[in-house]
Amino acid sequence: MVSLLDAELRKLLGLRTAWVGLLVGFLAAPALVFVSAGGTRRAIAEGLYTDSSDLGFQTLGIGVLGAMILGVVTVSSEYTPTGEDAPGARQLTATLAAMPRRARLLTAKGAALTLVVAVQGLVTTVATLALTRLVHGSLVPSPAPGRLAGAVLYWVLIGLLAYALTLIFRNGIVTLTVLVVNSSIVSVSYLLTKVTSAAVYLPDIVGAHLFLNEVGDHDVAPVTAGLVMAAWVAALLALAGWLFGRRDA
Amino acid sequence: MITIDGVIRVRGRTRVLHEVSFTARPGRVTGFLGPNGAGKTSTLRVLLGLDRPQGGTVLIDGRRYADHDRPLTVAGALLDGSGAHRSRSARAHLRWVAASNGLPRSRVGEVLDLVGLGAEAGKRAGRFSLGMSRRLGLATALLGDPPVLILDEPVNGLDPAGIRWMRTFLRDSAAAGRTVLLSSHLMGELAETVDDVVIIDRGRVVASGELAEVIGGHATLEDAFLAKTGSEGVSW
Repeated sequence: MVSLLDAELRKLLGLRTAWVGLLVGFLAAPALVFVSAGGTRRAIAEGLYTDSSDLGFQTLGIGVLGAMILGVVTVSSEYTPTGEDAPGARQLTATLAAMPRRARLLTAKGAALTLVVAVQGLVTTVATLALTRLVHGSLVPSPAPGRLAGAVLYWVLIGLLAYALTLIFRNGIVTLTVLVVNSSIVSVSYLLTKVTSAAVYLPDIVGAHLFLNEVGDHDVAPVTAGLVMAAWVAALLALAGWLFGRRDA
Repeated sequence: MITIDGVIRVRGRTRVLHEVSFTARPGRVTGFLGPNGAGKTSTLRVLLGLDRPQGGTVLIDGRRYADHDRPLTVAGALLDGSGAHRSRSARAHLRWVAASNGLPRSRVGEVLDLVGLGAEAGKRAGRFSLGMSRRLGLATALLGDPPVLILDEPVNGLDPAGIRWMRTFLRDSAAAGRTVLLSSHLMGELAETVDDVVIIDRGRVVASGELAEVIGGHATLEDAFLAKTGSEGVSW
């Protein structure tokens, strides 16, 4: 199992697209702290923030894109054609020749992803919160360790969600489009919460309660949020694993 | 030793393999011949566990491929393309493959030199020519120094020098005691390389045995092949 994990870490970190994900994850949220500093300061002065402890954490949302990209490319790179002269040839063939036990392969791949995304989430969260304190000083209370852990967990679960969806779709573009459009342009999940309060428990909405105090109009306790999101991810991973085990490569 | 017994494979509503059975023995080169679409690649993919059969068993040295702990030390396979992601260098590709089976890193340089890619180790696989891709695929198959080689159309895309090199390599491998199974639709090429022949047509094995046996009363392997697959007299 260690050798499988070793191989999957090498594969992931050897991809240029994975480095795009890593850089987006590392840089986007801290950069946003600076870019939005002026506006945030005015908003605080005008009393628009009822809970200023959310401040640094809110900025993290954009960095989660990095976790999504990593979750997607670790699978989509397996399905990308390796060349024009052999349209059916993909890395997946080499992967399954080397690691034919599919459940173990998916476990190793998921573990490699979790490791990379967890480190990314931890570094980015700490950096973003530190920068927020630096920029806004005493206006922001020092972050509770539990919320920091919640943010890193959210980061990892989003990465695994992207991983499971890409395994199901076998296509990175579809997964990335669904996740990015939903998280940044038009959040269908968020709009649904206006229609039914049950939509609060959709994976991408409920996860935010892990580290934010104010999300939409509903309150979900952080532990509940973590359990619900983990259950979503576990269910999707189970479906993905079942499909991957049955399908022809 | 490769044992394929009664393999049935159905794709959609079409039965592509009808109880395919044959063996490939150590120390011999077994040619798996058939027209395009006859079921050669399908059989090899089932053998490697890439596609699942609807019936029958496929064993390499007595076990299914996936049941071997370090499969690359048991069998090496060359299928379509190199199997390397376009953005990876040949070296980076081979390194992760080696890591997955706990093979020493030194094997990477050895197999690259063996297939004549030593000077291209740092080049990205996406920039490889067809011939170079095949060589990288072969290097991958040889990483674990396996006693069994499974090669799908190994001379495709190789230049004349490459074809000669491959022929010598396959003969030497068999002489060293390896089991070599290769598929091809090129008869002339094969007659000089193989010891045993299995002919498949429309998903059915129509002949198998030693080369001389299969040629029988025909003048050449090609004649025997055309007679057995019923493609003689096809008008072009």
